[in-house]
Amino acid sequence: MTRFRRRLRQTLTVARRDFVATVYTPIFLVFLLAPALMASFSAIGGMGAASVASSGREKARVVAIVADDLARPMAQADTRLRAVFRRDDAPPALATVRPAGDPRAQAEDLFSARDMDVSVVMFGPLTRPHILHTRRYTRSADYMGVLAAETLADHALGAARPRVEPVKLVTDAARQSRGGRNQSAFLAVLGIFFLTLFLSTQLLGAIAEERNSKVIEVLAAAVPLESVFLGKLLGMFGVAVLFVGFWGAIVGKLGTLLPADAATAFGELAPAIGAGPFALLFAAYFAMAYLLLGAVFLGVGAQASTMREIQLLSLPVTIVQVAMFGLSAAAVASPGGWLAIAAEVFPLSSPFAMAGHAANSPDLWPHLLALAWQALWVGLFVTIGARAFRRGVLQSGSARPRRRGKAAA
Amino acid sequence: MTATGLVKRFGDRQVVDGVDLAVPRGAIYGVLGPNGAGKTTTLRMLLGIIEPDVGTRTLLGHDVPRDAGDRVGYLPEERGLYPGMKARDAIAFMGALRGLDWRTGRTRAAEMMEAAGLGQAATEKIRKLSKGMAQLVQLLGSVVHRPDLLVLDEPFSGLDPVNQEKLEALILAERDRGATVLFSTHIMAHAERLCDRIAIIAGGKRRFEGTVDDARATLPERVRYRPTHPGPAVAALLPADAVADDQTWRFELPPEGIEPLLVRLIDAGHGIAGLSIERPGLHDAFVRIVGRDAVKGAATNRKAAELNA
Repeated sequence: MTRFRRRLRQTLTVARRDFVATVYTPIFLVFLLAPALMASFSAIGGMGAASVASSGREKARVVAIVADDLARPMAQADTRLRAVFRRDDAPPALATVRPAGDPRAQAEDLFSARDMDVSVVMFGPLTRPHILHTRRYTRSADYMGVLAAETLADHALGAARPRVEPVKLVTDAARQSRGGRNQSAFLAVLGIFFLTLFLSTQLLGAIAEERNSKVIEVLAAAVPLESVFLGKLLGMFGVAVLFVGFWGAIVGKLGTLLPADAATAFGELAPAIGAGPFALLFAAYFAMAYLLLGAVFLGVGAQASTMREIQLLSLPVTIVQVAMFGLSAAAVASPGGWLAIAAEVFPLSSPFAMAGHAANSPDLWPHLLALAWQALWVGLFVTIGARAFRRGVLQSGSARPRRRGKAAA
Repeated sequence: MTATGLVKRFGDRQVVDGVDLAVPRGAIYGVLGPNGAGKTTTLRMLLGIIEPDVGTRTLLGHDVPRDAGDRVGYLPEERGLYPGMKARDAIAFMGALRGLDWRTGRTRAAEMMEAAGLGQAATEKIRKLSKGMAQLVQLLGSVVHRPDLLVLDEPFSGLDPVNQEKLEALILAERDRGATVLFSTHIMAHAERLCDRIAIIAGGKRRFEGTVDDARATLPERVRYRPTHPGPAVAALLPADAVADDQTWRFELPPEGIEPLLVRLIDAGHGIAGLSIERPGLHDAFVRIVGRDAVKGAATNRKAAELNA
């Protein structure tokens, strides 16, 4: 057996052990279902908030104090104008009230009505309407001005008002737009960031198990430490792939249930390289981001002697991840600029930035180069981590690493 | 397995200082030394776990020890198994690290555990086993792939007498199978019973290499004599180093043998109530070779290091 094949076999043996030891535990189920728990709590919170908002919206009104002959055309104009609003952007529902006495006083009184929650009241002639509104509802006040003009035009012109029948045509022009590409690029960076944030920090404590159970010397005697490190990295990557695959399948199924509007919005994401290659590159860059950050975290975490030290490391590690995300997000906003090039070359941000690059540029060859570059750095980080670990431990017989490092058996 | 001029420093401390070893194929070879002598570091260098600062070694014909890794079994002094693994899987895993496929490893593990009286623990998790049982499981894991060379670092420490006996039997069985066995210990009785050859290391240096008999031969035999008619005149006839304990005298066997002395004692009328000539044990030879101060010093250093930690 060649040295390479032996190392590969040893690496995969370590990877298999780690994968099995992680996945075949009840705790893994908690980990796997954690997003569901998070989503459940978010949904409960969201429903509560939506319920409060909905009950408020039901009573909310904009009021027009108009004569009876104007009430009907105003309602028709209101129906027509509301067609351009999204549900959440639309002004509160319209109510019309007959004039009674002093219009200003009547308008003021309406704000304290019990049966509705009034935010805007319009009174006076429609040619010069007075619009009384609370400070927060300036947009609704503007709407009432437009409504007055529409109503007046309908009333004045009647059937003579010109009829416009728009012809709607759908185009894919947005797909080619820079905005669509940037949107795809940012979502790619964000997606990889969240996945690595959730998954790769687990590698901080990966060597702790071997140190605590003293298995490390058994492993180190049989397998080069580089293979131990790489095996652990691959084992945990397998866990990450299982996690992403599980949730990817669920989200994929849920995607078919999305409302048409949302599906259309996703359909307008337009990576320059094409949807198929973009999906493949996203997967490849997720793998590289995980392996790169994981290799660094594994090496850094291996230097920690206790769980407390590992916990202390989690904050700087998260900061590094956020920094890489920030750098890459800034890079995709200005593709081709010096910041983008720096982010694409710097090993830890390279997978994020190159995923964004795939959305912004149709060239394929830079990705082959980038993947090779990133793989090289995975190897370097694993080697450096293993060597630093070897330097810090295995210096004595029954002595603990570092603390009693100078007492040889 | 050979080693020439191995040197290792940790910081400013020289832990191993020019150790040479030559372990013959098929032998049981003991590396003896007091605590802190450099035994573990020497074994780790021999196996390629750490690299020597100076010196060369060959392992089963390979200059790079790891190239022979699949033919080597190793039990480190710090016993370690994954606590969540089943005993049978732990053995198979250790075999898999050395090139044995999992299925064969599991089958062999079950057979070996049965033979070692651990059959009922095969599917138990390591954390549920006693320390002695876990130690035996790890030992079985180090031989499951049937290595040509078995290296055991302080294998008897922490074992009760019954398990020590099992371990001795296993070492002999490995030798009978054709494997070379190298183990370190500071308990002389095991080395005396098992080893074909030994090396004694102290202070990072090799102080002795040879058979157990060679080591014992570094000390003269000792005589225990009890006269029939004791009296003050007996002392005058005995060698100068003779010391009395109750009515029994002890002294080194004179270079000319015991017969002339016995003739003189009988002629003087002291008679012989008891006489024995004892070969010195390996323990005595070890203390003589290493030096009492070195043994005491190593033990003291060790305790101090543990207290500091």
